[in-house]
Amino acid sequence: MEQRDFSFKKYAWQQFKKNKPALISLYILIALVFIALFAPVIANDQPLYCKYKGETFYPAFSTLVNPSKLDSVVNPETGLAEVLQFDITDWRKLDLEKVMWAPIPYSPDKGDRYNREYVSPFDEQRYKNSDNQIVAIPNRLRHIMGTDNIGRDLASGLIHGTRISLLVGVLAMGIASIIGVFLGALAGFFGDRNLLMPRSKYYFTLLGVFLAFFYGFGVRKYTLANAFTSGNGIWELVISLILIAAIIVGMRLLSIVFKFGWLAKEVSVPIDTFVSRGIEILNSIPRLILIITISAIFVRSIWLIMVIIGLTSWTGIARFTRAEFLRIRELEYVQAAKSLGYSNFRAIAKHALPNALAPVFVSIAFGVASAILIESSLSFLGIGVPDDVVTWGSLLNLGRQEFEAWWLVMFPGFAIFLTITIYNLIGEGLRDALDPRLKS
Amino acid sequence: MLKYLAKRILIFIPTLLAISLLAFIISISAPADPVEKLSSSADKEGAANQQSNATKKTKQELRKKLGLDLPVFYFSFGSISDCDTLYRVADKDHSACLAELSNYYGNWEDVSSYFHQLNVAQLSHSKLILDDIFEMNKDAEGRPNYSKNEINDVITESNFEINSMLETANPNVIASKFSSLDTLYSNYAFLSPIKKEFEQSKLLYNDMLSKQSSWKSYIPKIIWYGSKNQYHFWLFGDGEQRKGVVRGDFGFSYIDSQPINTKIWSKVWISFSFSLLSVLFAYLVSIPLGIYSAYKKDTKFDRITSIVVFVLYSMPSFFIGVLLLYTFANPDTLRWFPVSGIQDPTLYDPSWSFFEKAAHRAPYFILPLITYTYSSFAFLSRIMRVGVIDVFGQDYIRTARAKGLGEGKVVMKHALRNSLLPIITVFANIFPLAIGGSVIIETIFTIPGMGFEIYSSILNSDYPMIVAVFTIIGFLTMIGYLVADILYAVVDPRISYK
Repeated sequence: MEQRDFSFKKYAWQQFKKNKPALISLYILIALVFIALFAPVIANDQPLYCKYKGETFYPAFSTLVNPSKLDSVVNPETGLAEVLQFDITDWRKLDLEKVMWAPIPYSPDKGDRYNREYVSPFDEQRYKNSDNQIVAIPNRLRHIMGTDNIGRDLASGLIHGTRISLLVGVLAMGIASIIGVFLGALAGFFGDRNLLMPRSKYYFTLLGVFLAFFYGFGVRKYTLANAFTSGNGIWELVISLILIAAIIVGMRLLSIVFKFGWLAKEVSVPIDTFVSRGIEILNSIPRLILIITISAIFVRSIWLIMVIIGLTSWTGIARFTRAEFLRIRELEYVQAAKSLGYSNFRAIAKHALPNALAPVFVSIAFGVASAILIESSLSFLGIGVPDDVVTWGSLLNLGRQEFEAWWLVMFPGFAIFLTITIYNLIGEGLRDALDPRLKS
Repeated sequence: MLKYLAKRILIFIPTLLAISLLAFIISISAPADPVEKLSSSADKEGAANQQSNATKKTKQELRKKLGLDLPVFYFSFGSISDCDTLYRVADKDHSACLAELSNYYGNWEDVSSYFHQLNVAQLSHSKLILDDIFEMNKDAEGRPNYSKNEINDVITESNFEINSMLETANPNVIASKFSSLDTLYSNYAFLSPIKKEFEQSKLLYNDMLSKQSSWKSYIPKIIWYGSKNQYHFWLFGDGEQRKGVVRGDFGFSYIDSQPINTKIWSKVWISFSFSLLSVLFAYLVSIPLGIYSAYKKDTKFDRITSIVVFVLYSMPSFFIGVLLLYTFANPDTLRWFPVSGIQDPTLYDPSWSFFEKAAHRAPYFILPLITYTYSSFAFLSRIMRVGVIDVFGQDYIRTARAKGLGEGKVVMKHALRNSLLPIITVFANIFPLAIGGSVIIETIFTIPGMGFEIYSSILNSDYPMIVAVFTIIGFLTMIGYLVADILYAVVDPRISYK
């Protein structure tokens, strides 16, 4: 009883801190999250703050709220009003009295027409000054990592690409973990014999799933398709999902009415077989090929790619969760929970799940690394990601096409490499910290 | 053991069916129409939409030959508003439009009669002969009322509008097309043959609207098609030219009408030699390295190799591949190796002996092979090191040392064999890798192997190829796992399958 306030979380964090590479990786990851969150402020072709003809503007911030913000200044000498549309004004050309540029004064999707055709970071770069002369660029406005064929700034592309890479990790692995933990927990906890329910409930659930998909997706498919083309598809999708859940729950409730005679007899649901076969089938198809095929069918969209990666990456997590649950369900505290008459749901959610999550976290960390790798492979191949979205993989692909533009290969490649490495290192650190059995 | 094997092989069958079904479902969801692709002569938007009857007929025959005029599967789910013979509609856009209309209005009989009438209206354009109209529309002095160009433009416009009506179910769009066509037909009297059919279709449309019964799309229905469907014929053959997958016939490619079997066989050896060679090299390097760094655990050597291996492990293969190309196949720096392909078509002679071929291809193979090898090498040495460290902690190693056995014998005889288990898993992946190839590596180096073939068949929506590859890879993966399981039992007698 020397450590009175011992908790596993504290212990794990102490262990994790001892692992220097993992800790450094965590700091780098926090820095990357910071970059991703503040990307529009870090890399923007509009000034953060400027004073033009006596008026003060904050263009980079104003366009965050209203992308096509208009403003006008009155020229004190001529008395004429000059209209500025913030996002298409070339602020570099204006004779600004005071200006504070973003650290990287370029946006990822706008080409700099004075520095087209792969300008190296060390080459001479040019710009048009307020006197309409094309001169060598001042150091403050240099493309520090060079440009691509249409003059887009590489550094800015990398900064904004961070958002996509991190989002892929979060969203894809979020979906994958929900599916994987849910199915793995069911399969491991119940096995083939222990998930008992009356026949009425079993059959009504199956019927409910069928009907739910029919009403959720079958009937609503045109509503959904129209909504996706007009831009608010996510809401319609959420409505569909709620509808599906409601129908399944409703059918399960309805089954209580039919609980008599033959239908009331309890049967076991072979949930483990279902899940294991599902995992085996998905594992038998190379993941990259499956994802390429699916994403070639649909409209190109980065969100869709994330969802597809998530929907195909849950097998590893499900396997880990299943194995943990197989072990845990025999342990005393779960048996105790069962014999105290707690519901299965409570035994899973409150007793088994918290103890099974440690290895799952590890596989999620590794899974994020592989999700990022897959996304960058897809954008490298030019599949699924729209052309106007700048990602690390698509930048690297530009470099592949031009043998002289080494900067287009080195910088994005290093960014991908760095992100994958830190996730792998964090995964290793987590594994050592969360699994004391591996520690000797 | 035999019983276990038999059970495993029996499980193959449903899994394979599920994989092929999955591939099939993905394929039919693709928006592209293979018939349009194959009959490139038929230009849909251009040529004033005047697809001649001849091209329509060739398309029809093509569909029949490819089996596309059949339902996809044994049954389909739908609502009672759905038409159960929709698969017979040739044009993919038309069938999508029909499906959407019947979803909105409920009565597919009315929908199909409206749609049919529109089709008739469209076909009636071919009855109009430009010269005849030109001759007939002259005033008393013999001056033409309309120029030939104008007549042609008007016919084209009417054709275009009706054609776009055939592809939309949006009531607003349809209403606006109706009104614009109305004005067109009232302005140009010579369009009366089309006008007659058009008015009829308008009547049918209003009829369809008045009898709207949207509730029908809320009642589910299972439509049964029987064994005359695409999947069944793909699996068992149609009893004529196609033999079916069960007899080893994967059908024909949509791109060049070549049998898929020959296409796969001509490519698979390239991917196979790459994966075999790379696994071989990876084993040759990583097993000794893994053992040695485990043996020298926590020394400087171990730490450095661990870091190097970890860095390699996290390197994306496309980054390594592009870096290698940049460094060793770049005219500006070093031009040691060729950039792409596996042979020089101007020099290569098919009559060469095996060794001459190998010598000719060696420079082409080196860069891709390095890219192939490093990732599995990094992965393998990490596994190997952990495995050996684990084994070194076991009691029997201590016993072996305690009884005075030489270090060499302890490592090579007692530790090695026991740490081989995880390595076997990797060996199981060699077959699927052979056929799946590595899409990325083969694309970077333009190697005409399976990976590249899959990539291009996905881009060209060559469904039979995709389905075949999925099924074969699935089969090989399962074989690989099975072989691995048997090898486990061979290497480690403690494992038995009873």
